[in-house]
Amino acid sequence: MISDFISSFITEFTDLMDYVGILMPTLLAGAWVMVQLFCWTLLLSLPLGLPIALGSNVRFWPIRAFCRFYVFVFRGTPLLLQLYFFYFLLPIQFDIRLPALTTSIITFVLNYAAYFAEIYRGGINGIDRGQYEAAKALGLSKMQTMVGIVLPQTMKIILPPVSNEAIVLVKDTALASAIGLGELMKASKGAVNRDVDPTAYFVVAVIYLMFTFILTLASNRLEKRFKRYDERAVS
Amino acid sequence: MAGKKASGSAVVRHELKENLQAGDTILEMKNIVKKFDGVTAVDGVSFSMKKGEIVAIIGPSGSGKSTLLRSINGLENITDGEIDLYGTTGMVFQHFNLFPHMTCLGNITYAPIKVNGVKKADIEKRAEELLELVGLVDKRDVYPGQISGGQKQRIAIARALAMDPDLMLFDEPTSALDPEITGTVLSVMQKLAEQDMSMIIVTHEMQFARNVADRVLFMNKGKIVEEGTPEEIFGNPKSERLRDFLKAVTSR
Repeated sequence: MISDFISSFITEFTDLMDYVGILMPTLLAGAWVMVQLFCWTLLLSLPLGLPIALGSNVRFWPIRAFCRFYVFVFRGTPLLLQLYFFYFLLPIQFDIRLPALTTSIITFVLNYAAYFAEIYRGGINGIDRGQYEAAKALGLSKMQTMVGIVLPQTMKIILPPVSNEAIVLVKDTALASAIGLGELMKASKGAVNRDVDPTAYFVVAVIYLMFTFILTLASNRLEKRFKRYDERAVS
Repeated sequence: MAGKKASGSAVVRHELKENLQAGDTILEMKNIVKKFDGVTAVDGVSFSMKKGEIVAIIGPSGSGKSTLLRSINGLENITDGEIDLYGTTGMVFQHFNLFPHMTCLGNITYAPIKVNGVKKADIEKRAEELLELVGLVDKRDVYPGQISGGQKQRIAIARALAMDPDLMLFDEPTSALDPEITGTVLSVMQKLAEQDMSMIIVTHEMQFARNVADRVLFMNKGKIVEEGTPEEIFGNPKSERLRDFLKAVTSR
């Protein structure tokens, strides 16, 4: 009785593992595309956010207006809409035909730069006025104050929201399947439709979780590094 | 001698540092007016001080003491008047304003390296002397977040001194400290006084002002109401307002 149950369980389990093994090459190829989209987006949008953040605070109004409008548009419309927009705009209006991955990267970078700019801006505005005054009293230039005093302290403030955005980005990559990018989501959907078996979705969920877990560990480690100059109770 | 003459007001910085002798005028303020959104914080203040002099500014809160002090190094842009400054200034703030992401040594050496282009080895040697002066050699490699308020303020003094200022500005340097540790900061300032450092000290420490200052200014409602030696100001106050103020602060 029990041995029957165990043996049938083992058979089912090995069948499942065989099926997952068949799925794996497709899913891993999708994961690789996802990783590329993720890395390129972070690599380019993290620095792009900084000039937009600084531009949102300058006195010269045309630059300020442009930067704020940029954030308003890219943060205020769905990423999916932006993907469709660039997917059709570039070939139809400009006759530029790009691979789905390139179009996705461009869209994601423009979109995420807007979010990062707002995070940076909040971080920069969170720096105490006394820091600027001390820097000015010591004769530091505006540039030296920004680079040496304000931005290093901003890093600590923005780290948690930036890590959070990075985790959101892992999941947002799934949206690129809408314009035909063969990333994880598209790979799994193909398998599920073909085999009428939702196993692929389960496997893909585990892959997404692995990525977000790794990111969480990395951000915790970074946050710990910035704790070294925290205010501590002094006896 | 270039200074902005935008709205009839200016801070004129004279480059006469080497020629400056004890007794020469280091600062001259003429008819300083500062308005914030129509509210007059400083209302036509004039005064001058000589190199090596120690001036204490006392008065009730909101009397314009800090605003006047902050206009000297341009932290406040004056609405009207003229400031002639012969030399450089260093400033010590009520809330220290140390750079939390740098060690105490880093706080002291950062501006000399960046602004004056001093070599790191040279300024570190100087920084050690300054740490010695403020009695915090052991806090060299510690972050400001790990030391007490009194220690922070002494590091802030060392940081300002590292730029070799001709005039030190103190904006209520002990007001944010617990009463029992103000002494450590005041004794460092006392040492500077003995080294003939020119200083303007905005303070509520009447006893300290009395002991250290050459001259005391009493401000009220944006004006200098009374000015004189500590003996005159504390021993023989002439105006009713000053007598009331002194009564109020000494009976605390």
